[in-house]
Order: sequence, then C-alpha cells, then structure tokens
Amino acid sequence: MKRILLSISLLALAVIAFGQAKKPIIMVVPSDQYCISRGYKMEFNNQGLKQVLPDYKTALQTDPDLRLVITKMGQIMADRGFPLKDLEQELKNLEQERAESSMLTSSSSGSEMAESPIDALKRVAKADIIMDLDFEVKRQGPQKYIVFNLKGLDAYTAKQVSGVAGAGSPSTSASPELLLEEAVLSHMDNFNAGLMRHFEDMFANGREVKVQIKVWANWGENLESEFGSDGKELSTIIEDWFADNCVEGRFNLSDATENFMKFEQVRIPMMRTDEKGRQRAVDTRSFVSDLRKYLNGMGIPSKLYMRGLGEAWLILGEK
Amino acid sequence: MRKVLLGFTVAVLAMVMVLPTNAQTRKERKILWNSQYNYEIEPVGVGQDGTKVFKVWGYGKDVGTAVMNAKEAAVAACIFKGLPGGGGSAPTPPICSQPNAEQIHADYFEKFFEVGGKYLQYIAVTNDADPSGEDRIKMKKGYKVAIYVQVMYDALRKQLEADGIARRLDSGF
Repeated sequence: MKRILLSISLLALAVIAFGQAKKPIIMVVPSDQYCISRGYKMEFNNQGLKQVLPDYKTALQTDPDLRLVITKMGQIMADRGFPLKDLEQELKNLEQERAESSMLTSSSSGSEMAESPIDALKRVAKADIIMDLDFEVKRQGPQKYIVFNLKGLDAYTAKQVSGVAGAGSPSTSASPELLLEEAVLSHMDNFNAGLMRHFEDMFANGREVKVQIKVWANWGENLESEFGSDGKELSTIIEDWFADNCVEGRFNLSDATENFMKFEQVRIPMMRTDEKGRQRAVDTRSFVSDLRKYLNGMGIPSKLYMRGLGEAWLILGEK
Repeated sequence: MRKVLLGFTVAVLAMVMVLPTNAQTRKERKILWNSQYNYEIEPVGVGQDGTKVFKVWGYGKDVGTAVMNAKEAAVAACIFKGLPGGGGSAPTPPICSQPNAEQIHADYFEKFFEVGGKYLQYIAVTNDADPSGEDRIKMKKGYKVAIYVQVMYDALRKQLEADGIARRLDSGF
C-alpha cells in the first residue's frame, strides 16, 4: 500500500514539476437547429440533393441574443481557467489568413508558399470540445421564459461529455436579455461539473481518442499481409501494439477490412517521458508516431496524418 | 410441522425488517436535526454573477443561535451537498465533488466553520432582523428559523481551490 501511495505521489510530483497535459480548446458554436430555424443558413445543390448548412458568420453578425449568451459563457469559462476560442474572431482570422497566404511571396525569388489542397481544406475553425448551444425565448400568454440547451461534445469521439437543458421560470416583467443571462448563470455550474467529471476520467483512465489505419492504393501489400519471423498478419501486429501501449490496454477495434482499421475509445496516456527524460504531454499524433516508428522498424513506411488533438490516421505504404 | 416452522420464520423475519423503520426515537430525531448532511434549503431564484440565493433553515436554543446555524448550513450545503433546483434556477453541484471531503479535510473545515470563522466571509446578504412569521418556529426546546441568504459561491470555490481542498477545472492542464 505504501509503495502504491509513494508511486502515485511521485507521478503527481512529476506531472507538477515537469509538464502539463495538453489543454483542450473549447469553443461555443450555435447548433444547426438554432441557425437554420432562424434563417442563418446556406443552401447548396449537391448533385441534385438540396443541402442546408448553418451560416455562423451571419448568425454572429446579426443575432444580439446569441452574442450576449456567448459573451456570458466566455466570461464564466475564462474565470474557471478555460478561456473560450471565439468563433466570430476565428472566422475573421481565417479569412485574413486566407487572403495573406494567397498574396505572400518570397522576397528573393518571388516564390509562393507551398499549399496542398488538403492544407487549404484544413483552414477551418476547430476546437477539441464544442459547446453546442441552442436556446429559445418562448411565450405563454403574457409571460416569457427561456428554453436552454447546451451540450459539450468531444469533437473527435463525438461523445457528449457534459450537458444541461431546461426551461427557466416564466416572467411577465423581465426582459428576454435578463432571462437569457439568468439561464446561463443558472446552468453553467452544472455544465462545468460535467466537464470536470470528464477531465477526472481523462486523468484517471487516459485521454479517449480515435485512430484509423489506412493503406495507400499503390502499396502492393495490405493489412492481411504477413510480416515478421512468425508470419503474423499486419492487422494482428497493430492490434497487439495497441494492447501493449494503451492505458490498461483499453481500445476498441470497431471496424476493419484488409484496407482499413478503425480504432475507437483508444485510451492514450496524458504524459510520457521522452528520450531526454523530460515529461511530455501526449496527443494522438505523438502516440501514433510511436506506432509509425515501430512499423518502420519492420520495413513498413507510413504517413501520419493529424486530425486534431484527438484523432490521427496512419496511412501505410509510403510517406 | 414444517409449515408451522416456515410460517413462524417468515413472521419473525417480517417483524425484524419492519420494526426498525417505526423505531425512530426522539434521540434519533435529534441526531437527524444535528446531522451535518441535513440541510434544509429552498431555492428562491437565480443569483447575480457568482452568487447563489436561497432560503435556509437553522436550529438553535434561541433565535440568534439558530440564525448562525442557518448561515453555517448555507455555506456547508454549497461545499458538500450542492443546491437543489427550483425558483427558476437549475441544480448546483457541490464545490467539493470528492466523496467524504468533510472527513478527509476535517481539520481544515473545523477551523473554517469555527465560531466567527472564515465561512461568514462568503455570506453576502441576509435579512438582519430576526426571522418572524412562518420563518420562525418555536419548538419544545429552542427555535427553527429560516433566513434568506446570498452565498458568494464563486469566491468560496476559489478559496477552496486555492487552499487545495477543491479541484480546479483546469488542474493538470
């Protein structure tokens, strides 16, 4: 028992002294239902199929109630040590970045910046935890009340990590703005308690992430090919690696063929010691990078593609 | 004979299981009043930024002692039990989510809740006059009174986080 306590204390001390886990980025995003029902939408004809998408920019530019709620939530979250990424500002930054990237040239040769189509596609507003917000001022006779719905969604696992919903008490005298402020103040403590439970689980059992293994079409091998001295199938080798490296061997191979493997509920450690003995925070990219090195040692080159803090793809066959 | 024995056993078992529920003595009821978990709270609305507003009951030999007990219960409820929803406000979770926090940090809370202790710093507004009417109940030995309090919930949370009693939302990051 003493040994266990000593090891836990040493681990906690190491985390405090040498490094801290990667902090998730949180952003408030109005729900699709909120935007579309109020006309903040963009309509496309996608090969004969009508597609409706939320228009966040218009929503943020024209809806004062939405701005009020986002500001209030941002203030509370900043007070709890999690300043929110602002969607409106992020959209402006991305526009500016797009304009600057297209105009920027090298002063000596006049060369443009290298940018692949995927680089351009990645230039979107991103967050690790999305606070999906929806509210409505409802009327019942002369009284007004607020129906408030806030979901905390992990952007990678698509799991709801926290959530609050409910209707406020009706009032004839209070303005809708006051009722909205009350709704935010009333629900945020509960929402943050849910978020805290998620973080506690993360520190106890590792960060839950998603990993996909894919194969380049021109490789000539696939996940059923046999490798190593004992002739194991590549998919089994990869599965064994996950069992050895996940926290308590926790992962779920949810789907697989000879061309792909989809790992979900993969629990990766929050911290690890690097070659120089320093404590480093682990994200999915650095975790899968270890698998890449392991497979490289078996003569299998691969490309590591990052999709954020909580998701990465490893594409086998070449860089 | 077997049937008689079986019937007798069932009757005895039934009595054993039923009796304790009816056997709440005056002494036990007093323990219940004095229990640190028995906070009687009624939310009355949504507080201003970082505060909680509710009605809380306290017990004491005289009204003054009962009011002080109610103030203590108000802060203790925010720390250990959380506040129920109602009066337009959603339920509020306790600041210390760790189970048995009051026992683990017993020394800290003993000092925190001592007479004239730091807990009083987090009660912003109360009705200073002695409670009257339905908020003041005369009992056989003493009073049960209700007061309206505004607890500085965020300031209390920050103090407990700074003292290492409650966990910060961003701790570890």
